[in-house]
Amino acid sequence: MSKIEINHLTVDYTEKKKSFTALKDVSFSIEEGEFVSVIGSSGCGKSTLLSILEGINTPTDGEILINGEKIKGTGTDRGVVFQHYSLFPWMTARKNVAFGIKQVNHSASRSERYKIADEFLDKVGLEQFKNKYPSQLSGGMQQRVAIARALAMDTDILLMDEPFGAIDAKNRTILQELLLELWENATPRKTVVFVTHDIDESILLSDKIVMMTANPGRVYRELKVPFERPRNRAELVQTKEYNKFRNHLLSLFYSDIADKIGGEEVVL
Amino acid sequence: MNIPANTIQAVKADTKIHSELKTEFLKRYFRVVHGLFAVLLLIQFLPDKLTTETYVSYVIWFAVGVEIFTLILSGFIKKTASLNLFTDIVGFIYGLLIAWTLATAKFNLLKAALFPPPGKVFWQFISDYDKILVNIQSSVGIILQGYLLALAVAIPLGLFLGWSARLGSAATYISKFLGAIPPIVYIPYGIALLPTFRSVSVFVIFLATFWPVLAGTMSGVMNVEKKTIDSAKVLNVGKFTMMFSVILPASLQQIFIGCNQGLTVSFVLLTSAEMIGAQSGLGYYIKNYSDFGDYTRTIVGLIVVGIVIVIISFIFNSIQKYLLRWKQ
Repeated sequence: MSKIEINHLTVDYTEKKKSFTALKDVSFSIEEGEFVSVIGSSGCGKSTLLSILEGINTPTDGEILINGEKIKGTGTDRGVVFQHYSLFPWMTARKNVAFGIKQVNHSASRSERYKIADEFLDKVGLEQFKNKYPSQLSGGMQQRVAIARALAMDTDILLMDEPFGAIDAKNRTILQELLLELWENATPRKTVVFVTHDIDESILLSDKIVMMTANPGRVYRELKVPFERPRNRAELVQTKEYNKFRNHLLSLFYSDIADKIGGEEVVL
Repeated sequence: MNIPANTIQAVKADTKIHSELKTEFLKRYFRVVHGLFAVLLLIQFLPDKLTTETYVSYVIWFAVGVEIFTLILSGFIKKTASLNLFTDIVGFIYGLLIAWTLATAKFNLLKAALFPPPGKVFWQFISDYDKILVNIQSSVGIILQGYLLALAVAIPLGLFLGWSARLGSAATYISKFLGAIPPIVYIPYGIALLPTFRSVSVFVIFLATFWPVLAGTMSGVMNVEKKTIDSAKVLNVGKFTMMFSVILPASLQQIFIGCNQGLTVSFVLLTSAEMIGAQSGLGYYIKNYSDFGDYTRTIVGLIVVGIVIVIISFIFNSIQKYLLRWKQ
């Protein structure tokens, strides 16, 4: 049995009396401890898919099973990091993390929660900023806090919706490596579903890449990432295999677009 | 004679620091406000045109007291903006006193019965001191009771109504309708239904505060961003936590807008509320003495009401600033 099974998921939206299909018959599964990236151009329904996994949205048809059980709404087995605004602006970094811990661990006392929060803020390199409010932190720091909170909640599954999408290139690299390190060194490793549109990011981080296509949102390809762990970006990007795999992904990515446009003139 | 270069430099640096200190000192203590103080003091020694007692010494003592206080505080206030604000206020008080002294005691330009000289008002204030204290206590008690009661009911109710989408839209119109009715209209109903006149006053303040706070809270809740609610949902928060740890702080700014409106209306209504058969309170004090043509005491009452309002607003703003400190 897979950790997460997505079965024939279909989502229809109705907006101003026009309905459109965001996801159509999406099925794939994710193993325990697997890091899976979902990539695709905008409008392919990858964020819709994740919102159903989070439990915020409900599908029109189909279901998602976690540990063989159908999900109904949000759950304490899943931690979430959004692209924006995961943090509550009226809580300090430390309180944000502690608040997350409180929701999954009601028995922990306030000082215990703060202790765990501090520990995880240390891990993401924010020990000096724990008493700052989100408005006093940069976008990258805010995402570090959001990651610290998701990790501190110690859920089996981590759902990340383009968590580094709004961060500048340099900090994005740093955060990707931080996430990679934290995830690879944890035992047992968490099951991660990571939504992105960045091909390099998905190769570096994941075990499996699910490529989606738009109108309607469907799974286009599923690919295993054939690189050993622990991974090192600097070494990895220099290998032939990496570039071959990356080009393969890119060609798939654009052949999908070429199919959609339907013209022979799109040559890569 | 040869003086070493570094000594010259040191002396130069020293004079530079010295002159910087001097400009800093001048900026801090040589201000228009102190000139106004001097003018105020000097005009007290002009001969009185008013034939009745003008209690000049009370104005002098008051001015000297304020000036000493100003000088001491000038040394402690660090930010230039705060110092400017403070001296501007003191300057306004001096200016007002200058005009007041000249128009009444010194040139007798106004009707003495309606416009007593400032010295007489200060004298009256001191001789009525304990009476005024009792009245302040009574008024502040009524305002606080009515106001806090309204907050305690309106904020939770607003959270609940704003959160439940169906009731919320109906409640918006109902609160608009009821909020538009001036609370004084309810006074006869209050008198008929409530046991004491004091409770009627509290009731009036309560109503004056209730509607703006309810409307503010509801609009705050209805405008909480979906992202914020989703962030809370995925953390699996309970209903109570959602309401009081997420929705409440997220709508706090709008709630404060309602609270501010309520506070303003409360002050305006205080006098009306206390006119209903009350036997104490600042509104009663003003009304009572103006009915008897004692305008010195009426002015004393007006000044005290003003001071109380400023103090309460200051406390209120400090609380607001503290609770919204995370906003930038």
